[in-house]
Amino acid sequence: MDRRAFVKRSCLGGLALSLDHWGTSPAFGQDLIPPVPPIHVSEPLGTQVSPLRMPGVYPGRVVEIADARSIVANRVSQAVVARMLERGLRELTGERDLRQAWSRFIQPQDVVGIKINPSGAPACCSSPEIVREIVAGVQSAGVPARNIFVYDRYAYEMDIGSYQALVPKGVRVTGVQEHKLDASGYDPNIFCEANFFGEWETRSYMANIVASGVTKIINVPTMKDHSAAGVTGCLKNLGYGTFNNVDRSHSRPFSFTDPLIGIMCSVEPLRSKAVLHIMDGTRMVWHGGPLTQNQDFIFPAGLILLGTDPVAIDTIELEKIEAKRSEKGAPSVWSRDPASLTSDSAAFYQDAARNLFYRQPHHIAAAGKLGLGVSDRKLIEHKVIHIW
Amino acid sequence: MSDARAVQRRATLTNNEPGWPTLLCDNARSGGQAAQPWRAPRRARWQISVEGAVRGSPILRGELLYIPSLAGFLHAINIRSGRLQWKFKAAAAIHSTPSLSSGRLLFGGDDGKVIAIDAASGTKSWEVASEDEVWASPVVQNETVYFGSADGNMYAVGAETGALEWKQMLGGRIYSTAHVAKGRIYVGCGDGNIYGMDAATGHILWKAATGNGIDCSPALANDTVFIGSQDFVFYALHADNGTIRWRYQGELGITSAPAISGELIIFGCKAGTLHALDIRTGRVIWKCRIGQVITAPPVISGSVAWIQAGFTFAVNLSDGRVLWKANLGNAVQSAPVVTKDVVYVAGMEGEIYALE
Repeated sequence: MDRRAFVKRSCLGGLALSLDHWGTSPAFGQDLIPPVPPIHVSEPLGTQVSPLRMPGVYPGRVVEIADARSIVANRVSQAVVARMLERGLRELTGERDLRQAWSRFIQPQDVVGIKINPSGAPACCSSPEIVREIVAGVQSAGVPARNIFVYDRYAYEMDIGSYQALVPKGVRVTGVQEHKLDASGYDPNIFCEANFFGEWETRSYMANIVASGVTKIINVPTMKDHSAAGVTGCLKNLGYGTFNNVDRSHSRPFSFTDPLIGIMCSVEPLRSKAVLHIMDGTRMVWHGGPLTQNQDFIFPAGLILLGTDPVAIDTIELEKIEAKRSEKGAPSVWSRDPASLTSDSAAFYQDAARNLFYRQPHHIAAAGKLGLGVSDRKLIEHKVIHIW
Repeated sequence: MSDARAVQRRATLTNNEPGWPTLLCDNARSGGQAAQPWRAPRRARWQISVEGAVRGSPILRGELLYIPSLAGFLHAINIRSGRLQWKFKAAAAIHSTPSLSSGRLLFGGDDGKVIAIDAASGTKSWEVASEDEVWASPVVQNETVYFGSADGNMYAVGAETGALEWKQMLGGRIYSTAHVAKGRIYVGCGDGNIYGMDAATGHILWKAATGNGIDCSPALANDTVFIGSQDFVFYALHADNGTIRWRYQGELGITSAPAISGELIIFGCKAGTLHALDIRTGRVIWKCRIGQVITAPPVISGSVAWIQAGFTFAVNLSDGRVLWKANLGNAVQSAPVVTKDVVYVAGMEGEIYALE
C-alpha cells in the first residue's frame, strides 16, 4: 500500500507564464495559436525540500568551458573533456580540490541518477566520454558504482547510443520504458494533467526512478535546436525526460512545451533532486533537433556549460543557437512566420528555413517565472574560459 | 558455397544443430548462405504479437521459432500455424539471442543469469548466475557454453549442467557475443579492447586496443578477426596475435556485427550506412546509406543481404542496391531468420512476421 499523501495544485493554465509573449507574435495576434489549458499537478505532500533544489546553490551562474580539441573529426576526446569538466567544476564551486567540488552536490550515501539525452543518438546525444567522467566524479565523492544509474525514458535510444557497454562496470544503465506504450515504470500518484488537443489520456506521470529510485540527479543535456520547444537543454531534458506521454503536448503546428516544460520541472521531488546540470556542448545541433542525423546541421562547438540553474544555462544555450542560426542564414527560433511552416518532415530535416511548429523558446523564461532560475540575461553571471 | 567453406561451416555449427540454432544461423555467423534465387516477399504468411518488446533475434529449429522479449519471456511459435506453442517466463528481461544445443535453449537475462530450458517443452534444465546483465548470446562449442557478462567476466560452463569451468575477468563490460573457433575465443569489450583467449582455460592470449568501447560481435575468416568499435573504425586483426591486418574508417560507431560471404565482408555503422569491403584488404566494394542508424547485423542469403534498420531491407550483395524494403515494427537490433521459403522478422515492439 502506498502510504504517501499527495496534493494537487493548478497552474492557471500556464496562461500567466505565457501572456507577456502574446503581443509579440503575429500568429497569436491572428488567433492562430490556441490558449494554454489549465494544467494540474499532483505531487507528494510534505516533500522534504532540498536546499540544493533548482535553481540550486548558484542561481544565475553559468560556467562555459571551451576547448576545440574536445571534438575532432566528430570524436569526443575523453582526456580533454575530463580537463574541461574539472576546470568547470572548480570555477563553479570555487573549490580547488575536485573531490571537494563534487562533494558540494553529492554525498556518499546518495543514489545518483545521471540523466542523459540519447534522443538524437547516434549523431548528437550525451557523449559517453562525458558520462564516464561524471561517473568517476560521483565515485570520487564516495558513491559506489552500484548506486549510480545512467538513465533516460527510452531504453531503445540508450541502446543505440551503446551506453550499456561504454560505462564503467557496476554502474546501472536503465531505460524507464522499453516501448512507446509501456507505462509500468511511472508513479501513478505524481503527474501533470491537462487536456491540450482533446487527447484520451490527459495525464503525464513521473518516472519511478525519479520519484523514488534516486536521491540526486545530475542532468546531462545536449545543446540542440528543437522543432517545438525552440531549444532543448536542461529544462526539456529534465521535464520531458521524466514524465511520460508528453508527445500529446504537440499537434502541428502548435506546441504547449511553453509552459509545460517548466511546470514539469517544478514538480517535487524532481525539483529537489536535480542538483547539477552539465550541458554537453561538444556538438551543437542548430537545426533539425531533437532527432536529426543530418551532419550539415551539427556543429562541433567544443564546449561544456555547467551550473545549478537550468534556466540560466538554457538562456545561454538559446543565445548560442540563435547566433549560429543567424550566421547560417536560418530564421530565428522566435520566428512566428506561418510561411516557414511545413507538414513535411523530410523538408524540415533538409531545410533550415522550414519548421514543423511555431517554436516555443519562451518556455525558458516561463520556467524562470516558476522560480527555477534566472532568465534575464543581464542578471546571468556567464563566465567563459577558453582552454584552447 | 565452396566445399572448403561448407566443411568449415559444418565444423563450426553448434553441435551440428539443424535449422538456425544461434545468432546469424551458426557459430561461423554465416547467415545460412544457401544459393537461393532472389524473390521479394509478397505477403505475410502470418503475424503474431509476443509479450514484450523484442531486442534479440529469433532462432529456428524444426517447426519452432524462438523469440526472446524484454518482458522476460522466451516464446516458442509454431511456424506452420503462427501460434504460440509455449512460453517460458524468466525473472528478468531477455536481450540475449538464444542458442540451441542438444535440445536445450540457452539465453542470458538482465538479472545476470544464463538459463537452459528444454527446447521442446520449455521446462528449465539449469541456470548459472553472473554478477550483472547478460545481453550477449551464449555460444556453444564442444559441450561448453561461453558467454560474456556486463560484470566484466567471460564465463565457460558445461552445456549439460551449467557447472562453471572457468571465468576470466576482462577490463570492461561485455556486450559482444564471442566467436569461438579452433580452441580460441574472440570477443570485444567495453574497455575498448578485443581479446583473444584460450577456450580451454580462459587465459588471455592477446588483447588489441581500439579508441573506444566495443559492443560489436566479431566474425572470423582466413585466420582474421573482424570487428567494429565505437571509435568509428572497423578492424581486421591476425587471429593468432591480435596485430592489425587492416583498418577501415566508418562515419560513426560500429555496433553491427559483420557478415561474411566469400571475399566480401558487410556491416553497418551508426550513420545508417551499410559497408561492403574486400575481406583481404579492407577496400570499399560498395557502400550505401539505407537508414537513420544501423546497429543490427546483416544476414546474407544467396545474393542478398537482409538487415533491419528501422525498415527491413533486402540489399543486392553485388552492388548494395536496395531490392526490397518494408516497415515492419521499426527494429534496429534484431536480425531476421532467412529460410528457403520464408523470412522471419521480429519488430521492436513484439510483432513477429513470417514473410513469403
